[in-house]
Amino acid sequence: MSQGFLSVAGAAKTFGAATVLDGVDLAMDRGEFVSLLGPSGCGKTTLLRIVAGLMRPDQGRVALDGQDITRLPPHKRDVSVVFQSYALFPHLSVAENVAFGLRARGAPSGEIAPAVKRFLDLVQMGAYAERSIKALSGGQQQRVAVARALVVGPKLLLLDEPFSALDRKLRETMQIDLKRLLREVGTTAIFVTHDQDEALTMSDRIAVMHRGRIEQLDTPAAIYARPATPFAFGFVGLATGLPGTVYDSANGIVTVATQAGPLRGPGHFLPGSPVLLGVRPERIALDHGGANRIEAPLADAAFQGARVQLHFQAPPDGQILVETPSLPAAAGPGTSLKMSWAIDDTLVYPAPAEAA
Amino acid sequence: MNASRRLDPVLLLALPAVLYLAIVYGVPLLMLLGRSILSGGTPSLAPFGAFLSDPFSWTVIGNTLRIAVLVTLLCLLIGYPTALALSRARGAAQALILVAIILPLSVGVVVKAFAWQIVLRRDGVVSQLMMGLGLWSEPQRLLFTEAGLVIGAANVFVPFMILPIYSVLKLVDPRLGEAAATLGASPLYRFFKVALPLSLPGIVTGVAFVFSMAASMYVIPNLLIGDRFQTLATLTGRSFLFMRNEQLGSTTAVVLLVLTVAVVVGSAALSKRLGGAS
Repeated sequence: MSQGFLSVAGAAKTFGAATVLDGVDLAMDRGEFVSLLGPSGCGKTTLLRIVAGLMRPDQGRVALDGQDITRLPPHKRDVSVVFQSYALFPHLSVAENVAFGLRARGAPSGEIAPAVKRFLDLVQMGAYAERSIKALSGGQQQRVAVARALVVGPKLLLLDEPFSALDRKLRETMQIDLKRLLREVGTTAIFVTHDQDEALTMSDRIAVMHRGRIEQLDTPAAIYARPATPFAFGFVGLATGLPGTVYDSANGIVTVATQAGPLRGPGHFLPGSPVLLGVRPERIALDHGGANRIEAPLADAAFQGARVQLHFQAPPDGQILVETPSLPAAAGPGTSLKMSWAIDDTLVYPAPAEAA
Repeated sequence: MNASRRLDPVLLLALPAVLYLAIVYGVPLLMLLGRSILSGGTPSLAPFGAFLSDPFSWTVIGNTLRIAVLVTLLCLLIGYPTALALSRARGAAQALILVAIILPLSVGVVVKAFAWQIVLRRDGVVSQLMMGLGLWSEPQRLLFTEAGLVIGAANVFVPFMILPIYSVLKLVDPRLGEAAATLGASPLYRFFKVALPLSLPGIVTGVAFVFSMAASMYVIPNLLIGDRFQTLATLTGRSFLFMRNEQLGSTTAVVLLVLTVAVVVGSAALSKRLGGAS
């Protein structure tokens, strides 16, 4: 793989005894949209701040557009940030907020007003140019923050959970608008989020982060279909995980003894290895047509409009999640139902350390 | 009973302060004002006319304003960076700075005067320092000079500049500075376009505190510069205590009050315009 437009190599950061970033590598192409996805405390915001220059890594290098920027202060990097709290200047109007970066860079005064107007129009805030920041709603502030970050034509745009304060409906609109806007402007962007739906919707590639490391960096489809680690499997999308022990292994197919019976999946493990066996809820069919067959009592059914989510009791105390278009007739809590899925839809991981 | 029931209960919380100020401040002030315009029974502005037509009065007014402005500027110059440091400091460092600012307030002005005598006299610390740096060719006495008075007064009043600025700065979102930096603003540009405008309300409060105290200080000029140098406050004191001229004393007191209020109100209005425009 080439050096990339942005390249982070071996970035590490500790705060006291806590290792927040544990040697992270990340390479991005020009124009790409990459999400850093992970739970709070996984190091995604720390990585963002290191790329922005707001924090120095203890180790590692950051290069942007062929230039090593590891020791460059933030105002010389050409990297804009949209903060979670937006961080708009409360003493300036909407238009002055957007003009701030251009003024700070000493842009010719004749160019400032047209550029500000163009970007305010792009985020549909043209009618609010002379308003005070305090008079705007959260969604409007968010749009102004995006315009302010983009108007300077940054090499890289960083977004730190920019939608987390918005309600769901607005968030979905903003996601689509932002994606379209970034394509129009042609900006390379890193998007930090803990919301897997947001990451799956918006990204060209997703970096799944856990405990200061990137566990998997791939397209949304690939991460959903083939999560590389048990963490990525559990964090991205809904999933059922059944612990078990391998007792047979042949031709790349292992047979695993679980509390729900013997189940098979692709993998290379020695007999006796503890493993975690996973399957996506929409891959399970309510019949015995697939190779992996079990039967379990229905615990709960959650109607979700287009589909129904079924929770089955799995011995000893786990649960199996199934998504179907409609609830089978005559099925109620306690009804035992047959289900099955294909060997290829089965994911087999080494048992996670904390479960061992 | 009826009237109090219609009152906003929140206003009742201000009642003790209102009563207290009305009795110990409002009433004496009215008496003072009355004395300054009621010479010989009929209200007249003649005492002000007489005072303002005396050239010596203008020297005194000039002294008062010059010293108050210089003390305020010195406090702002020393106080702003301190307030900035205080707002950025965390934990033990912050506690230490706060103690260093507040503790000296518990030492009386008279006690401090002894320290100033050591620091400001001809063979004092300042003189030796300036000689050592090669900035002065011979030892100089700062005690009983205007420079000495400004240095001493700033020492007393600087906490009243630091604390209001600090209380505003600590409420400014640190992300604003980071946002400005990522937009390409240098540290200096960030200071003048973000931190400074946002801390303007604290500066106005600090300036109002320090200016009004420096314009009306009485004990400090007495200890540091003596009788030769008169301000409106020291002249007011002399009029009442030594010259037994209540007419002159109440006139100078009212002139001082008007000047101070004008400066405080003016600076607040100015900052509002600066903050609103740009």
